[in-house]
Amino acid sequence: MSRTPVRVVAVSAGLSSPSSTRLLADRLAEAVTKAAAAPVEVRVVELRDLAVDIAKHLVTGFPPPALRTALDAVTGADGLIAVTPVFTASYSGLFKSFFDLVDPDALTGMPVLIGATGGTARHSLVLEHALRPLFAYLRAVTVPTAVYAASEDWGAAGGRSGDGGLAERITRAGGELAALVAGRPVAAARSGKEDGEGDLDGSRARGAERDLEADLVPFEQQLARLGG
Amino acid sequence: MQFGIFTVGDVTTDPTTGRTPTEHERIKATVAIALKAEEVGLDVFATGEHHNPPFVPSSPTTLLGHIAARTERLILSTSTTLITTNDPVKIAEDYAVLQHLADGRVDLMMGRGNTGPVYPWFGQDIRQGIPLAIENYALLHRLWREDVVDWEGTFRSPLQGFTATPRPLDGIPPFVWHGSIRSPEIAEQAAYYGDGFFHNNIFWPQEHTRRMVELYRKRYAHYGHGTPEQAIVGLGGQVFMRRNSQDAVREFRPYFDNAPVYGHGPSLEDFTEQTPLTVGSPQQVIERTLGFREAVGDYQRQLFLMDHAGLPLKTVLEQLDILGEEVVPVLRKEFENLRPADVPATAPLHPALTDTAPEAS
Repeated sequence: MSRTPVRVVAVSAGLSSPSSTRLLADRLAEAVTKAAAAPVEVRVVELRDLAVDIAKHLVTGFPPPALRTALDAVTGADGLIAVTPVFTASYSGLFKSFFDLVDPDALTGMPVLIGATGGTARHSLVLEHALRPLFAYLRAVTVPTAVYAASEDWGAAGGRSGDGGLAERITRAGGELAALVAGRPVAAARSGKEDGEGDLDGSRARGAERDLEADLVPFEQQLARLGG
Repeated sequence: MQFGIFTVGDVTTDPTTGRTPTEHERIKATVAIALKAEEVGLDVFATGEHHNPPFVPSSPTTLLGHIAARTERLILSTSTTLITTNDPVKIAEDYAVLQHLADGRVDLMMGRGNTGPVYPWFGQDIRQGIPLAIENYALLHRLWREDVVDWEGTFRSPLQGFTATPRPLDGIPPFVWHGSIRSPEIAEQAAYYGDGFFHNNIFWPQEHTRRMVELYRKRYAHYGHGTPEQAIVGLGGQVFMRRNSQDAVREFRPYFDNAPVYGHGPSLEDFTEQTPLTVGSPQQVIERTLGFREAVGDYQRQLFLMDHAGLPLKTVLEQLDILGEEVVPVLRKEFENLRPADVPATAPLHPALTDTAPEAS
């Protein structure tokens, strides 16, 4: 039987082309697709292509059209894959800047699979001390398995069940994300998100446009809340 | 329709000369700009309110009172009055005095302010921005309409048997706009009271402006003030003109590239495409401004930002000449021809300003 496809967006902050970060993002997306019961529609957001737009949004307070489309895709997804190269002991600045532009409430409850790439395995805990807290702040739900790929992993033998290699971790993480996505109503059916009241400085995100009227609190209620 | 200018009151170095005006020069220039606005036939002058450098307009009613004494027709307004950090009692008093001195040529625009430290400097908490705007305005609204007010709220000391003096001119309070860029709560507030809604769209893509105004119009009708089309809408705009559009671009580019807020960011070309900024010939400004109507419907007030980013006074005055002589007369005619008869031409005017009844009450 045919079912509504779930939308999975993979954000890749790799800078080179080809990039191992993009390669990891693609492998993770493939693993989610294989594990999912429903058809999966994968969309990859390459932050490299949006780097200048991201900088413009930071200084003007609104996104140029291509960035707006990408932000809408991320906040409207059923599940998110977020992969960054490790730069100077953390996620890359580009990766952070992109997520700085996502409305702080827009990823609440979003299943997220985090991944990172680096030259050596010594930075693998970046996933736990940098990426996972970032998504915890955004109240997203990160899957237990985070996938780190060092350069050496791409040449290691593996793919056999139980060897703990990159392929096995990718498969496990993809399965975890697919299970979480399957447990939620599809994005189209979810309601809009409120943006952060009191966030007035204009420099923060306003990625996804909301259904203004659906979110509106009638004025009498706004007055009543004050209790005056 | 009313056409006018609004100023932020920034003291900014002219990037082409490296010269920074003194605060004194900036304040005097602001007055000269307001007088020029009346001279060239504009309807409205509005000043911002700021409490930190590099801005000078911390005391709007002092400035507007002075301008009131030196003008005859110009409507004096604000863009915006900080309803969050000013005491609503003081707003009621200050603007009532101004309204008397200006013989009714006063309205004002409420805003929350976007400078974080201003809240604690005035004893408030920025996280309470929306509740402050709602409660303070509810009190202001009563102070101008009820002779004796008993009141108790969350943010201000209670009032028992309080009368705000002077009473508004002829008992009719100044018309109020509510300005917001992205808070639907404020569009809702404006709609609830039947007040005006001003969307300062100068840094914003048109689609966002359209959605905010549409929400306000729907809710205005919901609260029984009229049809959605009759709601009172104002928009911002930002222009730089020369007869030859290439000259305008060449002259304005260094100011754009170094401007506070958007300087050192997007290109002039991208910004003019994505926001209402228009740099070109008077005809281009006319076409662009008429395009705003396509997005939001017939509206009542258009304010242009003309004097920021370090533009020298002489240039600003030249710009106002072009605006008043070549742009606004055409826009007045075009907008008036397009406006349905049952849609108000302007925001309500104080009856002292007109022989006939105001067009919307």
